[in-house]
Amino acid sequence: MKYSINKSFLLGLLVTFFSCTDLAEEPVGLLAPEAFFNTASDVQTVIMGTYADIASEQFYGRKLVLSLQLRSDMCDIGDRNTPARRQQVNDFNMDSNNGMITAFWPRAYRIIGTANAAIAGADIVGTEDEAVMVLKAEATFIRAFVYYHLVRVFGDIPYIDFTIANPDDVKDIAKTPEAEVYQRIIADLEFAKANLVDAHSSGARSRATAGTAASYLASVHLTLGNDQQAYDEAKFVIDNKDRFGYGLMEDFAELYDGFNADGLAEHIFMVDFAAGLNGTSSQGTDWMGPITGIRSVFLPNTNAGWSVSVPAFTVFETWDDRDYRKEVSFIDSAFADAELTQPIGYEEFAPNHGSPRPHIGKYFRLAGNHRGDSGQSDNNYSAFRYAEILLIAAEAAINLGRNDEAAGYINQIRARARNWNGTMTDFPPDVTVAEDLTQVVREERRLELAFEYKRWYDIKRWQIGSEVFTGANSLEPHDNFDASRDYFFPLPQDELDRNANLLPQNPGY
Amino acid sequence: MSNTKTTSMKNLLLSQWVGVILLMTGVGLGTVNAQPIASAATYHYSQGEQWQPLQTVLQSVQDNYKVYLNYKTSLVQGKEVNVKKIKIGKNQVEDVLQKVLVQHQLSFEKLKDNYYVIYQSSQLPSLVPLDLNNETKKEEKRSSNPLSNIERRWNQQPVFNLEQTIRGTVTDLENNEPLPGVNVLAKGTTTGTVTDVDGNYRLTVGDDITTLVFSSVGYLSEEVEINGRNIVNLSLSPDIQSLEEVVVVGYGAVKKSDLTGSVSSVKAEELTAYPAIGAVQALQGRAAGVQITANNGEPGADFKVRVRGGTSINASSDPIYVVDGFVGAALPPPEDIESIEVLKDASATAIYGSRGANGVIMVTTKRGSKGQAKIDFNASYSLQNEINRLDLLNKEQFTEYIQDTNPDFTPLDGNTDWQDEIFQTGNIQNYQLGISGGADNLSYYLSGTYFDQEGIIINSGFRRYSITSNIEIQAAEKFKVGLNLFARRTQQDGARTQENSGGANNSGVVAAAFKFGPDQPIRDANGNYTLARLSDAHDNAVAVATEYIDENVTDRFQGNLFAEYQIFDDLSFRTTLGASSNNGRTGQYTPTTLQGGAGVGGDGRVNGSKNSLLLNENYLTYSKEFGVHNLTVMGGYSYQVSRNENWSGRSQSFPTDAGLYWNLGAGSVFQRPGSEFSEWELASWYGRVNYTLNDKYLLTLNARYDGSSVFSENNKWAFFPSGAFAWNMGDEGFMQNIEPVSFWKWRVSYGVTGNRAINPYQTLAALRAIDVLAIENGVPVNAITIDNVANENLSWESTAQLDIGVDIGLFNDRINVNMDYYNMVTSDLLFELPLPEYSGYPFQLTNIGKVENRGFELTLNSRNISGEFIWDMGFNVSANRNKILELPDGNDILYRSGPGHMVGLGDTQILREGEPVGVFYGWIYDGVYQEGDDFIEGGGFEQEAGGERFRDIDSRDENGELTGVPDGQLNNDDRTVIGDPQPDFIWGFNNDFRWKGFDLNVFFQASQGNEIFNYTLMELDLMAGRNNATTAALDRWTPTNTNTDIPKASGGRARRASTRWIQDGSFIRLKNLALGYNIPKVILDRLNIRKLRVYVSAQNLLTFTDYEGYDPEVNYRSSGATNSNRNLGLDYASYPNAKSYTFGINLGF
Repeated sequence: MKYSINKSFLLGLLVTFFSCTDLAEEPVGLLAPEAFFNTASDVQTVIMGTYADIASEQFYGRKLVLSLQLRSDMCDIGDRNTPARRQQVNDFNMDSNNGMITAFWPRAYRIIGTANAAIAGADIVGTEDEAVMVLKAEATFIRAFVYYHLVRVFGDIPYIDFTIANPDDVKDIAKTPEAEVYQRIIADLEFAKANLVDAHSSGARSRATAGTAASYLASVHLTLGNDQQAYDEAKFVIDNKDRFGYGLMEDFAELYDGFNADGLAEHIFMVDFAAGLNGTSSQGTDWMGPITGIRSVFLPNTNAGWSVSVPAFTVFETWDDRDYRKEVSFIDSAFADAELTQPIGYEEFAPNHGSPRPHIGKYFRLAGNHRGDSGQSDNNYSAFRYAEILLIAAEAAINLGRNDEAAGYINQIRARARNWNGTMTDFPPDVTVAEDLTQVVREERRLELAFEYKRWYDIKRWQIGSEVFTGANSLEPHDNFDASRDYFFPLPQDELDRNANLLPQNPGY
Repeated sequence: MSNTKTTSMKNLLLSQWVGVILLMTGVGLGTVNAQPIASAATYHYSQGEQWQPLQTVLQSVQDNYKVYLNYKTSLVQGKEVNVKKIKIGKNQVEDVLQKVLVQHQLSFEKLKDNYYVIYQSSQLPSLVPLDLNNETKKEEKRSSNPLSNIERRWNQQPVFNLEQTIRGTVTDLENNEPLPGVNVLAKGTTTGTVTDVDGNYRLTVGDDITTLVFSSVGYLSEEVEINGRNIVNLSLSPDIQSLEEVVVVGYGAVKKSDLTGSVSSVKAEELTAYPAIGAVQALQGRAAGVQITANNGEPGADFKVRVRGGTSINASSDPIYVVDGFVGAALPPPEDIESIEVLKDASATAIYGSRGANGVIMVTTKRGSKGQAKIDFNASYSLQNEINRLDLLNKEQFTEYIQDTNPDFTPLDGNTDWQDEIFQTGNIQNYQLGISGGADNLSYYLSGTYFDQEGIIINSGFRRYSITSNIEIQAAEKFKVGLNLFARRTQQDGARTQENSGGANNSGVVAAAFKFGPDQPIRDANGNYTLARLSDAHDNAVAVATEYIDENVTDRFQGNLFAEYQIFDDLSFRTTLGASSNNGRTGQYTPTTLQGGAGVGGDGRVNGSKNSLLLNENYLTYSKEFGVHNLTVMGGYSYQVSRNENWSGRSQSFPTDAGLYWNLGAGSVFQRPGSEFSEWELASWYGRVNYTLNDKYLLTLNARYDGSSVFSENNKWAFFPSGAFAWNMGDEGFMQNIEPVSFWKWRVSYGVTGNRAINPYQTLAALRAIDVLAIENGVPVNAITIDNVANENLSWESTAQLDIGVDIGLFNDRINVNMDYYNMVTSDLLFELPLPEYSGYPFQLTNIGKVENRGFELTLNSRNISGEFIWDMGFNVSANRNKILELPDGNDILYRSGPGHMVGLGDTQILREGEPVGVFYGWIYDGVYQEGDDFIEGGGFEQEAGGERFRDIDSRDENGELTGVPDGQLNNDDRTVIGDPQPDFIWGFNNDFRWKGFDLNVFFQASQGNEIFNYTLMELDLMAGRNNATTAALDRWTPTNTNTDIPKASGGRARRASTRWIQDGSFIRLKNLALGYNIPKVILDRLNIRKLRVYVSAQNLLTFTDYEGYDPEVNYRSSGATNSNRNLGLDYASYPNAKSYTFGINLGF
């Protein structure tokens, strides 16, 4: 009996020997948010996360910017085999399930969420440290930058400026009215302008500085019709251009050379891509090269593109051939063979793909290193360049009646445009105050910033949609343009389905 | 005589079938003619008496140990033994026999499991004539104790009216090996004998005897006519449905007749019926309630296994695999497997608690048995062809079609049949060499296999090498240890077919072959591979197949050590320690000859992974019989830990393509490297009680208490109970009158099992630093984004399952029927709940929602014809109904599965309450608009003659709510559920015929009522002039060909998920047809060969289907936990299944 008891004891011991575990998870390689923020560099890492998502396919790599590009009167659909979602944006027949908005809406809010996390992180680390305060200002700028896009695309939107620990907390929030969103954007930008540095030590133009914040303030005020503030901010940037290191590039073409596009003086804010390096949720992935490039042709630095976003022929036709910017902005000849021996004109572009006309040159021609068709490239996309600040200053000045000054700003741009790859030409000539400067500045914006995602916002800002899409001189006619509907995109249906608190939908959808 | 035999056979068959039908319909139970029979008396020996008759003691030994003791009555008659120190039922049976028999100088020998022959010590135990009694009662009537038939025959008066002597050898029909211990009985008399260790017998009977009856446990009984012969040799075929058979369940084994749960068994011979890439493929169609589908026909591709349907949506619905008690171990090749048991209901699976919800697949590997070493060599060679091809347009037809949308199109001067170019005759070589045997204290099994498949697509293939070693040592009287070792290498040369985006850089081989213009040559005038001209400039199929390198090598080492100690007579302890290590490497290289490599100067990458698994199980089993009560209690503890690591490197722009992925450093453009680590732990307490009363009433209670690291702080532990009750109704007195029924058992079980199959760390909020990168001045810098929002309450999915089943044996168990009805409801589904997107988080893993699986399973096994010609039949059918009961807030969830390059296709499937998981969602296709039709408006919808016409079914009111009323507008609101990929039922039908040395296997497998979303045809027959089309294009709408439902060629046509692409995927497939011949023993004996069988077979020879794709048995984008649950019935240019012709031999020494 005793023997048996011993054996049982032994057995019990054996069993319990293996039963010591607390089952706690100790993840390696994952970062827990509550323990993460200790130093300024931690805050900066999270801020870099927002830039990573801005430079993603869903945002500045394609979805957002392609939507803006197609929506304008400058870019039409080339190959009509392209997905319906793109054609709908271009053709003013979007519905709320449109695949462009359902992609860039959530990405925009992820950037905002990450910016909010960085702002909260800065507060945890302590903003009495000046470096941390600078970073907080940078994150605040990014929040404003994203909301500035959202508010122009959608109008009233949910406005989140805090970190969300529990998603239930925000499931019932209402949309914030457009005007209030603008006020908050202005507040964020002013905070950013006051606290940001003038330049980053790396010289990177992909990160916001005080100059970036001021430039966006100028743009926001102009959009809101606050001409004096717009003028003041633009003037502030112009007056401090040396402090910020801003200026026009000598040669317009330099702006679109992906092999040489870092730290350009003209870039007030740009989105930085590097060839072939992409994160799992499409960070660092740009497709505007092949999207605007030509089907079935060859260029020295790239294979064929996809002929998706191709200007209507009128856009090309009406642009003065003497303008160097036309030469840079378009590709009108290419090669039919990989050996680059058989040049063909644009009439032979994209056989079988329905767009035998000049294609956009700004993204396709010199994208830097890329995966073969100018996709996943080294290109850097300009989000705001010094030329635009001059044009904002000019437009605001005109509205304020200071035509002389305005003409001066415009002429800076025209002077640069006369530099045809090192050869000075006499086109375009300087403007004089005798001209209708309002029209001049609008045309100047259209051509100078052609295909750069600005035109749709301008059409909306000037409320000229009916004129440019249904008017006699329309470059890209769309008879169905409906001013009561089309100045806003619909809110994404999947979001509305889950969140009735966002109703009503924008009018007309 | 033989004439009457045939006639009576027919009659018997007929009456069997009538009986089955009557029984199955529940009619006529009372009308079946039957005679009463007295139950066999069971002698229970009382402990008080010190001296007992030897005969009585031996009877008691038989009863207690369920063994057969075979002896001449004269040896034991009148002898008494002292039983004072002999504890029957406690000591080992051999100890008891030894102690009993030694008192009279008697010896015994174990002939086989549970079978002993007793003889005088001076004699050999051969040729012991049996004396049988005159009991004329229904011999064939089964009683509750399966042994009693034979017991009854023993210990009776001798008969000495000898008039003819017959001798012969009885062998096992499967392996030609001699069968000892077979009872040979002169029919209609009580005279008989039993075969010796070499399977020989000699029997002297009256000359009026015409028929001998051969019977042995585990084999089907045979009646053989003597026909004046002196030598009657016979092969017995194993009774795979034998109720005496032991079935492996979790942490133990039970007799089939004592099962309370729903378990399907599949035996070695079924698993090796044809050369299978792995055991899972071999299981296809063999077990009711188990649906196995190939994810892809590619050599080495995975299979998807569903036991009673998919229980989950986001988490895995895969069953767990248990190999010789090692949970999560890899399956050895089919040749090394003795049996597979599929545990289906909660009574059977709840012992695996949080991992039991999707069923358990228990694998028992082969062991050695005592005796001389046996060497087996199996070899086969197969030739393979693709199962089908698509009829595509030829060059002229293609040109004409493309010119419909693009009049300027001029064809090139090639003329290529791209399917011809990529398909080849593949082959499989499959070899196994095994040696097994054992001595008194040791048994061993050693086996090596080699499987080499050259795929039916050029440059694809798969090789597998494995070694299996099982050793068991009886180290001491009460102590047994054993070790199972398994090592395997697999090598796969992949062909790209399951491409997501088949854009320019990622074209798949099969899709490219279908799409490419037949006017294109393989290479252009400069020797470069041609590129697609009408769509993305993707590579041609030959280029992808030949140039793209995708190689995977995986090494697996697995060991499982066990020790078993008999602590007391009733109590044993078993501990196991299993460990496995799985190391894999995948290397991929895209050379500059392909689009994906051309732009970047070659693209190479290597991924490595290392997974390890450690499991310790410790459990006690207590087993005791108290009179009519039988109790078994098992309880234990286990701990398991798994670690997974992987790492990867990638580089581009190489000076040459020659280094492939083996010189990443030579690339000048380095890409992002990756590495990852995760770990999970599982600790568990478990226990089971089996209680049997009178062998008639069986009760099983299971429980497991599982703790898992992957769940949140607040929900680490959970309890999974189940209970089952079974009633052997066939043993009740009132059933004894029902002649055809030999066995009838009811079963009912209910229990809760879980599914913890989610990845580690999902309960933790995380900032994501992995795979995010920001660029500053062209250089990557550290970046982090918000990623996960924590769920502090994340817990298990739990599945409550009710099972009601019945097992029926008819006509002496010649027909066995098992039927089960089950209802499973899975609650607290682990679900990726979409969050407000403006929160910045896409979703949160949450326990929400319910899915139901209800179903019916029937298994029928029957020996239709026995005797010299044998026809065995096995049929199983299962019908499962899957339904989503509850989703988050009741909202539909739309998702898409179309290939990425089918841009604009959008959502294709929906999760909706009341519908099964995975239903297709889209528009109803109403054919083609004709001139003069009213065109329905809608942005992006065609409004012209020859265009696709869709049905307007719905609209929205001013509040945005759907009204169900058409509004004359086509848009997204007009979509509806357009197809269901879940089959109505699936079945397998197996037939084995044997005649003399020949055997014929005919195995059908089928699926009925499942629909397939045919992306392949959607791409080819969109009629948008972007690629080649099937010959359906010849019937496209033109102004002169209007009576058609194929639209006109139109370049701008949008891709739409619609009924046009939904097709019936039902099929019946002749999975295996095999003819074998066993070389007769007389010849083999001369050659010193134990057995030699040669066979020819064909797999997938015939397919009956209306499906218009090339194969209804394909899947697309169906791997990974979530996709495997909800991407069902998709077809997109998968690697096709093959038709095989096999020649093989089975050789034994």
